[in-house]
Amino acid sequence: MSPLTQTFDHYSQQKRQQQWKHLAILAILLLTLLLSIHSIIIEDTDWQRIGTLEQVLASIGRFAALDFSLIPHLGVPMLETFMMACLGTLLGLFFSLPVAWFGALNVTPSRRLLYPFSRFLMTLSRSIHEMVWALIFVAAVGLGALPGILAIAMRSVGFISKIIAEAIENIDPKPVEAIRAMGGNNFQVMYYGIIPQIKTLVIGTIIFEWDINIRRSAIMGLVGAGGLGLTFFRQMAMYNYGGVTVVILAILTLILLGEIASHYVRKAIN
Amino acid sequence: MSTQSQTQNRQLHWQRYRYPQSLIQFTLVLLALSALAYSIHFLNIDLQRLLSVFGRVGEVLAERYFPPDLAYISQPGYLQSVIESIQMAYLGAILGMLLAVPLAWFAAWNVTPARRWLYPLARLAIMGSRSVHEMIWTILFVTVLGFGMLPGVCALVMFCIGFAGKLFAEEIEVIDMGQVEAMQANGANPLQTFMYAVWPQVRTAWTGIAIYTWDVAFRAATVVGFFGAGGMGWYLKRNVQQLETERVAAILLSIVLLVLVSELISAWARHRLSRRRAGNQLQNA
Repeated sequence: MSPLTQTFDHYSQQKRQQQWKHLAILAILLLTLLLSIHSIIIEDTDWQRIGTLEQVLASIGRFAALDFSLIPHLGVPMLETFMMACLGTLLGLFFSLPVAWFGALNVTPSRRLLYPFSRFLMTLSRSIHEMVWALIFVAAVGLGALPGILAIAMRSVGFISKIIAEAIENIDPKPVEAIRAMGGNNFQVMYYGIIPQIKTLVIGTIIFEWDINIRRSAIMGLVGAGGLGLTFFRQMAMYNYGGVTVVILAILTLILLGEIASHYVRKAIN
Repeated sequence: MSTQSQTQNRQLHWQRYRYPQSLIQFTLVLLALSALAYSIHFLNIDLQRLLSVFGRVGEVLAERYFPPDLAYISQPGYLQSVIESIQMAYLGAILGMLLAVPLAWFAAWNVTPARRWLYPLARLAIMGSRSVHEMIWTILFVTVLGFGMLPGVCALVMFCIGFAGKLFAEEIEVIDMGQVEAMQANGANPLQTFMYAVWPQVRTAWTGIAIYTWDVAFRAATVVGFFGAGGMGWYLKRNVQQLETERVAAILLSIVLLVLVSELISAWARHRLSRRRAGNQLQNA
Protein backbone atom coordinates (compact mmCIF):
# COMPACT_ATOMS: atom_id res chain seq x y z
CA MET A 1 0.00 0.00 0.00
CA SER A 2 1.44 3.33 -1.02
CA PRO A 3 1.66 6.15 1.51
CA LEU A 4 -0.79 8.15 -0.54
CA THR A 5 -3.61 5.60 -0.34
CA GLN A 6 -2.85 5.14 3.33
CA THR A 7 -3.29 8.86 3.90
CA PHE A 8 -6.44 8.80 1.85
CA ASP A 9 -7.86 5.87 3.84
CA HIS A 10 -7.04 7.67 7.05
CA TYR A 11 -8.68 10.82 5.72
CA SER A 12 -11.86 9.08 4.60
CA GLN A 13 -12.10 7.22 7.88
CA GLN A 14 -11.83 10.50 9.76
CA LYS A 15 -14.42 12.03 7.48
CA ARG A 16 -16.82 9.13 8.11
CA GLN A 17 -16.34 9.44 11.85
CA GLN A 18 -17.06 13.13 11.65
CA GLN A 19 -20.22 12.48 9.66
CA TRP A 20 -21.43 10.02 12.29
CA LYS A 21 -20.75 12.55 14.99
CA HIS A 22 -22.69 15.22 13.14
CA LEU A 23 -25.55 12.80 12.59
CA ALA A 24 -25.62 11.93 16.30
CA ILE A 25 -25.68 15.60 17.30
CA LEU A 26 -28.45 16.25 14.81
CA ALA A 27 -30.48 13.30 16.12
CA ILE A 28 -30.16 14.51 19.71
CA LEU A 29 -31.19 18.03 18.69
CA LEU A 30 -34.21 16.72 16.79
CA LEU A 31 -35.27 14.48 19.67
CA THR A 32 -35.08 17.39 22.13
CA LEU A 33 -37.02 19.53 19.70
CA LEU A 34 -39.80 16.96 19.42
CA LEU A 35 -39.94 16.63 23.21
CA SER A 36 -40.18 20.41 23.61
CA ILE A 37 -42.90 20.66 20.99
CA HIS A 38 -44.80 17.87 22.67
CA SER A 39 -44.70 19.40 26.14
CA ILE A 40 -45.26 23.00 25.06
CA ILE A 41 -47.77 22.84 22.25
CA ILE A 42 -49.66 19.65 23.06
CA GLU A 43 -49.56 19.34 26.84
CA ASP A 44 -49.25 22.85 28.17
CA THR A 45 -51.30 24.94 25.75
CA ASP A 46 -55.00 25.27 26.39
CA TRP A 47 -56.26 25.61 22.83
CA GLN A 48 -59.82 25.98 24.06
CA ARG A 49 -58.86 29.14 25.93
CA ILE A 50 -57.12 30.62 22.89
CA GLY A 51 -60.14 29.84 20.73
CA THR A 52 -60.41 30.10 17.01
CA LEU A 53 -58.22 32.16 14.72
CA GLU A 54 -60.93 34.81 14.53
CA GLN A 55 -60.93 35.28 18.29
CA VAL A 56 -57.16 35.66 18.31
CA LEU A 57 -57.37 38.18 15.49
CA ALA A 58 -60.11 40.02 17.37
CA SER A 59 -57.93 40.33 20.46
CA ILE A 60 -55.05 41.56 18.31
CA GLY A 61 -57.48 44.00 16.71
CA ARG A 62 -58.17 45.62 20.08
CA PHE A 63 -54.59 46.93 19.98
CA ALA A 64 -55.26 48.66 16.68
CA ALA A 65 -57.69 51.21 18.13
CA LEU A 66 -55.01 53.81 18.92
CA ASP A 67 -55.67 56.05 21.90
CA PHE A 68 -54.28 59.42 20.83
CA SER A 69 -55.45 61.18 23.98
CA LEU A 70 -52.44 59.64 25.73
CA ILE A 71 -49.85 61.44 23.63
CA PRO A 72 -49.61 64.67 25.73
CA HIS A 73 -48.86 62.54 28.81
CA LEU A 74 -45.97 60.73 27.17
CA GLY A 75 -43.41 63.57 27.10
CA VAL A 76 -42.26 63.34 30.72
CA PRO A 77 -41.96 59.51 30.80
CA MET A 78 -40.05 59.60 27.52
CA LEU A 79 -37.61 62.12 28.96
CA GLU A 80 -37.30 60.02 32.12
CA THR A 81 -36.56 56.88 30.13
CA PHE A 82 -34.00 58.73 28.05
CA MET A 83 -32.26 60.18 31.14
CA MET A 84 -32.30 56.82 32.87
CA ALA A 85 -30.52 55.28 29.89
CA CYS A 86 -27.90 58.08 29.83
CA LEU A 87 -27.21 58.03 33.56
CA GLY A 88 -27.21 54.24 33.65
CA THR A 89 -24.65 54.07 30.86
CA LEU A 90 -22.44 56.68 32.53
CA LEU A 91 -22.62 54.94 35.89
CA GLY A 92 -21.93 51.64 34.14
CA LEU A 93 -18.83 53.18 32.55
CA PHE A 94 -17.76 54.48 35.96
CA PHE A 95 -18.09 51.01 37.51
CA SER A 96 -16.46 49.25 34.59
CA LEU A 97 -13.22 51.28 34.64
CA PRO A 98 -11.74 49.50 37.68
CA VAL A 99 -13.14 46.15 36.51
CA ALA A 100 -11.48 46.61 33.11
CA TRP A 101 -8.23 47.73 34.73
CA PHE A 102 -8.11 44.65 36.97
CA GLY A 103 -9.31 42.39 34.15
CA ALA A 104 -6.69 43.32 31.52
CA LEU A 105 -3.85 40.84 31.74
CA ASN A 106 -1.04 43.32 30.94
CA VAL A 107 -1.91 46.02 33.50
CA THR A 108 -3.73 44.15 36.27
CA PRO A 109 -2.20 44.74 39.72
CA SER A 110 -2.53 41.07 40.66
CA ARG A 111 -2.82 38.24 38.18
CA ARG A 112 -3.53 35.64 40.82
CA LEU A 113 -6.41 37.30 42.62
CA LEU A 114 -7.91 40.38 40.97
CA TYR A 115 -7.74 39.16 37.35
CA PRO A 116 -9.98 36.07 37.77
CA PHE A 117 -12.21 37.96 40.15
CA SER A 118 -12.94 40.76 37.70
CA ARG A 119 -13.38 38.27 34.84
CA PHE A 120 -15.98 36.57 37.03
CA LEU A 121 -17.67 39.93 37.68
CA MET A 122 -17.88 40.57 33.93
CA THR A 123 -19.61 37.25 33.31
CA LEU A 124 -21.89 37.69 36.30
CA SER A 125 -23.00 41.14 35.21
CA ARG A 126 -23.91 39.91 31.74
CA SER A 127 -25.54 36.72 32.97
CA ILE A 128 -28.16 38.34 35.15
CA HIS A 129 -31.12 39.70 33.23
CA GLU A 130 -31.87 43.39 33.72
CA MET A 131 -35.25 42.52 35.26
CA VAL A 132 -33.49 40.54 37.98
CA TRP A 133 -31.03 43.36 38.63
CA ALA A 134 -33.96 45.78 38.84
CA LEU A 135 -35.77 43.52 41.32
CA ILE A 136 -32.68 43.37 43.53
CA PHE A 137 -32.23 47.16 43.51
CA VAL A 138 -35.91 47.93 43.98
CA ALA A 139 -35.78 45.74 47.08
CA ALA A 140 -32.69 47.58 48.32
CA VAL A 141 -33.33 51.27 47.56
CA GLY A 142 -37.08 51.41 47.02
CA LEU A 143 -39.12 52.66 44.06
CA GLY A 144 -38.03 55.47 41.75
CA ALA A 145 -35.56 56.06 38.97
CA LEU A 146 -32.50 55.16 41.06
CA PRO A 147 -32.96 51.35 41.05
CA GLY A 148 -33.54 51.50 37.28
CA ILE A 149 -30.32 53.44 36.74
CA LEU A 150 -28.39 51.05 38.96
CA ALA A 151 -29.85 48.00 37.22
CA ILE A 152 -28.89 49.38 33.80
CA ALA A 153 -25.44 50.27 35.08
CA MET A 154 -24.85 46.81 36.50
CA ARG A 155 -26.04 45.15 33.33
CA SER A 156 -23.76 47.36 31.21
CA VAL A 157 -20.63 46.75 33.29
CA GLY A 158 -20.00 43.31 31.82
CA PHE A 159 -20.00 44.34 28.18
CA ILE A 160 -18.21 47.69 28.54
CA SER A 161 -15.48 46.38 30.81
CA LYS A 162 -14.89 43.33 28.63
CA ILE A 163 -14.36 45.48 25.55
CA ILE A 164 -12.16 47.97 27.43
CA ALA A 165 -10.08 45.16 28.95
CA GLU A 166 -9.55 43.60 25.54
CA ALA A 167 -8.60 47.01 24.11
CA ILE A 168 -6.07 47.53 26.90
CA GLU A 169 -4.59 44.10 26.22
CA ASN A 170 -4.07 45.05 22.57
CA ILE A 171 -2.44 48.47 23.05
CA ASP A 172 0.95 49.44 21.78
CA PRO A 173 3.27 49.00 24.81
CA LYS A 174 5.85 51.55 23.64
CA PRO A 175 4.23 54.77 24.99
CA VAL A 176 3.64 52.98 28.30
CA GLU A 177 7.30 51.99 28.52
CA ALA A 178 8.39 55.48 27.53
CA ILE A 179 6.36 57.06 30.30
CA ARG A 180 7.62 54.46 32.81
CA ALA A 181 11.19 55.18 31.71
CA MET A 182 10.66 58.89 32.31
CA GLY A 183 9.62 58.06 35.87
CA GLY A 184 5.84 58.36 35.46
CA ASN A 185 3.74 56.79 38.20
CA ASN A 186 0.88 54.33 37.63
CA PHE A 187 -1.69 57.05 37.23
CA GLN A 188 0.39 58.95 34.70
CA VAL A 189 0.96 55.76 32.74
CA MET A 190 -2.78 55.21 32.69
CA TYR A 191 -3.69 58.78 31.79
CA TYR A 192 -1.03 59.52 29.16
CA GLY A 193 -0.10 56.05 27.93
CA ILE A 194 -3.23 53.92 27.89
CA ILE A 195 -6.30 56.15 27.71
CA PRO A 196 -5.38 58.03 24.50
CA GLN A 197 -4.91 54.71 22.73
CA ILE A 198 -8.27 53.23 23.65
CA LYS A 199 -10.39 56.39 23.67
CA THR A 200 -12.05 55.99 20.27
CA LEU A 201 -12.97 52.36 20.83
CA VAL A 202 -14.33 53.09 24.30
CA ILE A 203 -16.53 55.91 23.03
CA GLY A 204 -17.87 53.68 20.25
CA THR A 205 -18.65 50.94 22.76
CA ILE A 206 -20.40 53.36 25.08
CA ILE A 207 -22.60 54.63 22.27
CA PHE A 208 -23.47 51.06 21.28
CA GLU A 209 -24.35 50.18 24.87
CA TRP A 210 -26.32 53.40 25.31
CA ASP A 211 -28.39 52.44 22.29
CA ILE A 212 -29.26 49.10 23.91
CA ASN A 213 -29.82 50.77 27.28
CA ILE A 214 -32.64 52.90 25.89
CA ARG A 215 -34.42 49.62 25.12
CA ARG A 216 -33.70 48.35 28.60
CA SER A 217 -34.73 51.49 30.44
CA ALA A 218 -38.08 51.39 28.65
CA ILE A 219 -39.01 48.27 30.62
CA MET A 220 -37.62 49.25 34.01
CA GLY A 221 -41.00 50.73 34.91
CA LEU A 222 -42.54 47.25 34.85
CA VAL A 223 -40.94 46.49 38.22
CA GLY A 224 -41.39 49.97 39.68
CA ALA A 225 -38.57 52.13 38.32
CA GLY A 226 -40.42 54.86 36.43
CA GLY A 227 -40.29 55.92 32.79
CA LEU A 228 -42.24 54.63 29.82
CA GLY A 229 -42.45 51.14 31.33
CA LEU A 230 -44.62 52.48 34.13
CA THR A 231 -46.98 54.14 31.63
CA PHE A 232 -47.09 50.88 29.68
CA PHE A 233 -47.88 48.94 32.83
CA ARG A 234 -50.68 51.36 33.81
CA GLN A 235 -52.29 51.21 30.37
CA MET A 236 -52.09 47.43 30.51
CA ALA A 237 -53.66 47.37 33.98
CA MET A 238 -56.52 49.54 32.71
CA TYR A 239 -57.01 47.21 29.72
CA ASN A 240 -56.57 50.25 27.51
CA TYR A 241 -55.03 48.34 24.60
CA GLY A 242 -55.05 51.35 22.27
CA GLY A 243 -52.96 53.20 24.83
CA VAL A 244 -50.57 50.25 25.04
CA THR A 245 -49.92 50.48 21.31
CA VAL A 246 -49.31 54.23 21.61
CA VAL A 247 -46.75 53.63 24.39
CA ILE A 248 -44.99 51.02 22.25
CA LEU A 249 -44.90 53.51 19.37
CA ALA A 250 -43.38 56.06 21.76
CA ILE A 251 -40.69 53.53 22.74
CA LEU A 252 -39.98 52.85 19.08
CA THR A 253 -39.70 56.59 18.41
CA LEU A 254 -37.23 56.98 21.25
CA ILE A 255 -35.15 54.05 20.01
CA LEU A 256 -35.20 55.42 16.47
CA LEU A 257 -33.98 58.82 17.74
CA GLY A 258 -31.26 57.06 19.70
CA GLU A 259 -30.21 55.09 16.65
CA ILE A 260 -30.03 58.23 14.50
CA ALA A 261 -28.05 60.07 17.20
CA SER A 262 -25.61 57.20 17.65
CA HIS A 263 -25.14 56.97 13.87
CA TYR A 264 -24.11 60.63 13.66
CA VAL A 265 -21.92 60.55 16.76
CA ARG A 266 -20.11 57.47 15.46
CA LYS A 267 -19.59 59.24 12.14
CA ALA A 268 -18.22 62.30 13.92
CA ILE A 269 -15.70 60.20 15.85
CA ASN A 270 -14.29 58.37 12.85
CA MET B 1 3.80 69.49 19.96
CA SER B 2 2.88 66.25 18.33
CA THR B 3 3.72 62.66 18.95
CA GLN B 4 3.16 59.80 16.61
CA SER B 5 2.33 56.26 17.44
CA GLN B 6 1.54 53.19 15.44
CA THR B 7 -1.47 51.30 16.70
CA GLN B 8 -2.17 48.13 14.72
CA ASN B 9 -2.29 49.50 11.19
CA ARG B 10 -3.71 52.96 11.75
CA GLN B 11 -1.51 56.03 12.03
CA LEU B 12 -2.50 58.23 14.94
CA HIS B 13 -1.58 61.91 15.01
CA TRP B 14 -1.72 63.37 18.45
CA GLN B 15 -2.04 67.07 18.85
CA ARG B 16 -3.10 69.55 21.47
CA TYR B 17 -6.41 71.30 20.93
CA ARG B 18 -5.91 74.81 19.56
CA TYR B 19 -8.11 77.90 19.96
CA PRO B 20 -11.42 77.29 18.18
CA GLN B 21 -11.31 73.56 18.87
CA SER B 22 -10.52 73.97 22.54
CA LEU B 23 -13.49 76.31 22.96
CA ILE B 24 -15.83 73.83 21.25
CA GLN B 25 -14.45 71.03 23.40
CA PHE B 26 -14.97 73.07 26.55
CA THR B 27 -18.53 74.00 25.59
CA LEU B 28 -19.40 70.38 24.83
CA VAL B 29 -18.09 69.18 28.19
CA LEU B 30 -19.95 72.00 29.96
CA LEU B 31 -23.18 71.12 28.14
CA ALA B 32 -22.82 67.45 28.96
CA LEU B 33 -22.19 68.20 32.63
CA SER B 34 -25.16 70.55 32.91
CA ALA B 35 -27.38 67.97 31.16
CA LEU B 36 -26.14 65.43 33.69
CA ALA B 37 -26.89 67.73 36.63
CA TYR B 38 -30.31 68.55 35.23
CA SER B 39 -31.25 64.90 34.75
CA ILE B 40 -30.16 64.06 38.29
CA HIS B 41 -32.40 66.89 39.47
CA PHE B 42 -35.25 65.90 37.14
CA LEU B 43 -35.23 62.25 38.19
CA ASN B 44 -35.10 63.32 41.81
CA ILE B 45 -32.07 61.24 42.70
CA ASP B 46 -30.65 61.55 46.16
CA LEU B 47 -26.89 61.39 45.62
CA GLN B 48 -26.25 60.44 49.22
CA ARG B 49 -28.41 57.39 48.75
CA LEU B 50 -26.39 56.52 45.67
CA LEU B 51 -23.19 56.45 47.71
CA SER B 52 -24.62 54.17 50.35
CA VAL B 53 -26.47 51.92 47.93
CA PHE B 54 -24.01 49.04 47.86
CA GLY B 55 -23.82 48.89 51.62
CA ARG B 56 -27.60 48.91 51.62
CA VAL B 57 -27.79 46.11 49.03
CA GLY B 58 -25.42 44.03 51.11
CA GLU B 59 -27.38 44.73 54.26
CA VAL B 60 -30.73 43.87 52.69
CA LEU B 61 -29.34 40.72 51.14
CA ALA B 62 -27.78 39.63 54.43
CA GLU B 63 -30.79 40.49 56.54
CA ARG B 64 -33.75 39.41 54.49
CA TYR B 65 -32.50 37.24 51.67
CA PHE B 66 -30.17 35.06 53.68
CA PRO B 67 -30.23 32.09 54.00
CA PRO B 68 -31.72 31.12 50.61
CA ASP B 69 -34.48 28.57 50.95
CA LEU B 70 -32.78 25.73 49.12
CA ALA B 71 -35.48 23.22 50.07
CA TYR B 72 -37.96 25.28 48.06
CA ILE B 73 -36.02 25.13 44.83
CA SER B 74 -35.39 21.40 45.09
CA GLN B 75 -39.11 20.65 44.96
CA PRO B 76 -40.21 18.71 41.86
CA GLY B 77 -42.58 21.51 40.82
CA TYR B 78 -39.77 24.02 40.61
CA LEU B 79 -37.44 21.60 38.86
CA GLN B 80 -40.20 21.00 36.33
CA SER B 81 -40.33 24.74 35.70
CA VAL B 82 -36.57 24.78 35.11
CA ILE B 83 -37.05 22.14 32.41
CA GLU B 84 -39.92 24.21 31.00
CA SER B 85 -37.62 27.23 30.75
CA ILE B 86 -35.00 25.22 28.90
CA GLN B 87 -37.60 23.84 26.51
CA MET B 88 -39.05 27.28 25.85
CA ALA B 89 -35.61 28.70 25.10
CA TYR B 90 -34.84 25.75 22.83
CA LEU B 91 -38.03 25.88 20.81
CA GLY B 92 -38.06 29.69 20.68
CA ALA B 93 -34.46 29.86 19.52
CA ILE B 94 -34.92 27.20 16.83
CA LEU B 95 -38.14 28.64 15.41
CA GLY B 96 -36.75 32.17 15.63
CA MET B 97 -33.60 31.21 13.79
CA LEU B 98 -35.56 29.33 11.11
CA LEU B 99 -37.46 32.57 10.47
CA ALA B 100 -34.30 34.66 10.78
CA VAL B 101 -32.46 32.81 8.00
CA PRO B 102 -34.65 34.00 5.10
CA LEU B 103 -35.00 37.44 6.69
CA ALA B 104 -31.22 37.76 6.98
CA TRP B 105 -30.89 36.67 3.36
CA PHE B 106 -33.36 39.35 2.25
CA ALA B 107 -31.80 41.95 4.56
CA ALA B 108 -28.20 41.53 3.36
CA TRP B 109 -27.56 44.27 0.83
CA ASN B 110 -25.16 42.28 -1.34
CA VAL B 111 -27.29 39.16 -1.98
CA THR B 112 -30.87 40.30 -1.42
CA PRO B 113 -33.16 39.13 -4.24
CA ALA B 114 -34.96 42.48 -4.49
CA ARG B 115 -33.23 45.65 -3.30
CA ARG B 116 -36.29 47.80 -3.98
CA TRP B 117 -38.87 46.18 -1.72
CA LEU B 118 -37.64 42.97 -0.07
CA TYR B 119 -34.55 44.59 1.46
CA PRO B 120 -36.26 47.45 3.33
CA LEU B 121 -39.10 45.14 4.36
CA ALA B 122 -36.77 42.56 5.87
CA ARG B 123 -34.68 45.30 7.52
CA LEU B 124 -37.84 46.74 9.05
CA ALA B 125 -38.96 43.33 10.33
CA ILE B 126 -35.60 42.65 11.98
CA MET B 127 -35.32 46.14 13.44
CA GLY B 128 -38.90 46.11 14.66
CA SER B 129 -38.54 42.83 16.51
CA ARG B 130 -35.20 43.98 17.93
CA SER B 131 -36.45 47.34 19.14
CA VAL B 132 -39.25 45.97 21.28
CA HIS B 133 -37.84 44.42 24.42
CA GLU B 134 -38.57 40.71 24.99
CA MET B 135 -40.52 41.54 28.15
CA ILE B 136 -42.93 43.72 26.18
CA TRP B 137 -43.33 40.97 23.58
CA THR B 138 -44.13 38.59 26.43
CA ILE B 139 -46.81 40.86 27.86
CA LEU B 140 -48.39 41.35 24.44
CA PHE B 141 -48.44 37.62 23.65
CA VAL B 142 -49.80 36.78 27.10
CA THR B 143 -52.61 39.26 26.50
CA VAL B 144 -53.49 37.68 23.18
CA LEU B 145 -52.84 33.98 23.88
CA GLY B 146 -53.38 33.70 27.61
CA PHE B 147 -51.02 32.28 30.24
CA GLY B 148 -48.76 29.35 29.46
CA MET B 149 -45.60 28.41 27.67
CA LEU B 150 -46.83 29.20 24.15
CA PRO B 151 -46.78 33.02 24.56
CA GLY B 152 -43.30 32.69 26.07
CA VAL B 153 -42.13 30.75 23.04
CA CYS B 154 -43.70 33.35 20.73
CA ALA B 155 -41.94 36.18 22.58
CA LEU B 156 -38.62 34.34 22.37
CA VAL B 157 -39.19 33.74 18.64
CA MET B 158 -39.62 37.48 18.11
CA PHE B 159 -36.53 38.14 20.21
CA CYS B 160 -34.44 35.61 18.28
CA ILE B 161 -35.57 36.96 14.90
CA GLY B 162 -34.23 40.37 15.88
CA PHE B 163 -31.09 39.12 17.54
CA ALA B 164 -30.01 36.35 15.16
CA GLY B 165 -31.37 38.08 12.04
CA LYS B 166 -29.10 41.08 12.53
CA LEU B 167 -25.99 38.98 13.20
CA PHE B 168 -26.77 36.58 10.32
CA ALA B 169 -27.23 39.47 7.88
CA GLU B 170 -23.99 41.11 9.01
CA GLU B 171 -22.20 37.82 8.41
CA ILE B 172 -23.62 37.58 4.88
CA GLU B 173 -22.57 41.12 4.04
CA VAL B 174 -18.86 40.31 4.44
CA ILE B 175 -18.73 37.14 2.29
CA ASP B 176 -16.57 36.70 -0.79
CA MET B 177 -18.74 37.87 -3.70
CA GLY B 178 -16.75 35.93 -6.32
CA GLN B 179 -18.69 32.73 -5.73
CA VAL B 180 -22.00 34.57 -5.84
CA GLU B 181 -21.08 36.17 -9.15
CA ALA B 182 -19.98 32.79 -10.54
CA MET B 183 -23.36 31.28 -9.67
CA GLN B 184 -25.22 34.23 -11.15
CA ALA B 185 -23.13 34.08 -14.32
CA ASN B 186 -24.19 30.46 -14.70
CA GLY B 187 -27.82 31.52 -14.62
CA ALA B 188 -28.66 30.37 -11.09
CA ASN B 189 -31.81 31.75 -9.53
CA PRO B 190 -31.59 33.62 -6.16
CA LEU B 191 -32.42 30.48 -4.15
CA GLN B 192 -29.70 28.46 -5.87
CA THR B 193 -27.25 31.33 -5.37
CA PHE B 194 -28.09 31.37 -1.68
CA MET B 195 -27.84 27.61 -1.30
CA TYR B 196 -24.56 27.07 -3.16
CA ALA B 197 -22.70 30.39 -2.90
CA VAL B 198 -23.80 32.02 0.35
CA TRP B 199 -24.70 29.15 2.68
CA PRO B 200 -21.35 27.29 2.49
CA GLN B 201 -19.49 30.49 3.29
CA VAL B 202 -21.52 31.48 6.35
CA ARG B 203 -22.31 28.01 7.71
CA THR B 204 -19.67 27.87 10.42
CA ALA B 205 -20.11 31.46 11.53
CA TRP B 206 -23.87 30.96 11.70
CA THR B 207 -23.44 27.87 13.86
CA GLY B 208 -21.51 29.98 16.35
CA ILE B 209 -24.18 32.67 16.26
CA ALA B 210 -26.87 30.00 16.70
CA ILE B 211 -25.20 28.68 19.85
CA TYR B 212 -24.87 32.22 21.18
CA THR B 213 -28.51 32.97 20.35
CA TRP B 214 -29.64 29.91 22.27
CA ASP B 215 -27.61 31.07 25.23
CA VAL B 216 -29.12 34.56 25.16
CA ALA B 217 -32.61 33.15 24.64
CA PHE B 218 -32.20 30.96 27.71
CA ARG B 219 -31.21 34.03 29.72
CA ALA B 220 -34.44 35.69 28.60
CA ALA B 221 -36.49 32.52 29.11
CA THR B 222 -35.63 32.44 32.82
CA VAL B 223 -37.53 35.68 33.33
CA VAL B 224 -40.29 35.74 30.69
CA GLY B 225 -42.42 33.83 33.18
CA PHE B 226 -42.49 37.00 35.30
CA PHE B 227 -45.42 38.15 33.18
CA GLY B 228 -47.17 34.82 33.02
CA ALA B 229 -45.38 32.92 30.30
CA GLY B 230 -44.32 29.77 32.13
CA GLY B 231 -40.98 28.63 33.43
CA MET B 232 -39.04 29.83 36.44
CA GLY B 233 -40.11 33.45 36.10
CA TRP B 234 -43.57 32.61 37.31
CA TYR B 235 -42.19 31.26 40.60
CA LEU B 236 -40.08 34.39 40.87
CA LYS B 237 -43.07 36.67 40.45
CA ARG B 238 -45.22 34.78 42.92
CA ASN B 239 -42.60 34.85 45.64
CA VAL B 240 -41.67 38.47 45.03
CA GLN B 241 -45.28 39.47 45.50
CA GLN B 242 -45.69 37.33 48.60
CA LEU B 243 -42.48 38.85 50.04
CA GLU B 244 -41.03 35.36 50.53
CA THR B 245 -37.58 36.89 50.34
CA GLU B 246 -35.63 33.76 51.23
CA ARG B 247 -37.35 31.82 48.46
CA VAL B 248 -36.70 34.71 46.04
CA ALA B 249 -33.03 34.55 46.99
CA ALA B 250 -32.96 30.81 46.25
CA ILE B 251 -34.68 31.31 42.89
CA LEU B 252 -32.32 34.12 41.90
CA LEU B 253 -29.39 31.96 42.91
CA SER B 254 -30.64 29.11 40.75
CA ILE B 255 -31.18 31.47 37.78
CA VAL B 256 -27.66 32.86 38.06
CA LEU B 257 -26.16 29.38 38.34
CA LEU B 258 -28.10 28.02 35.36
CA VAL B 259 -27.22 31.01 33.20
CA LEU B 260 -23.56 30.71 34.15
CA VAL B 261 -23.59 27.00 33.25
CA SER B 262 -25.27 27.68 29.90
CA GLU B 263 -22.78 30.48 29.22
CA LEU B 264 -19.88 28.13 29.97
CA ILE B 265 -21.30 25.46 27.68
CA SER B 266 -21.90 27.94 24.87
CA ALA B 267 -18.43 29.48 25.29
CA TRP B 268 -16.89 26.00 25.17
CA ALA B 269 -18.88 25.04 22.04
CA ARG B 270 -18.04 28.30 20.27
CA HIS B 271 -14.40 27.95 21.20
CA ARG B 272 -14.27 24.44 19.72
CA LEU B 273 -16.04 25.69 16.62
CA SER B 274 -13.66 28.59 16.06
CA ARG B 275 -10.69 26.24 16.54
CA ARG B 276 -12.12 23.89 13.92
CA ARG B 277 -12.74 26.84 11.64
CA ALA B 278 -9.16 28.03 12.00
CA GLY B 279 -7.96 24.47 11.26
CA ASN B 280 -10.08 24.29 8.12
CA GLN B 281 -8.80 27.62 6.90
CA LEU B 282 -5.26 26.39 7.46
CA GLN B 283 -6.01 23.27 5.39
CA ASN B 284 -7.54 25.29 2.58
CA ALA B 285 -4.70 27.78 2.46
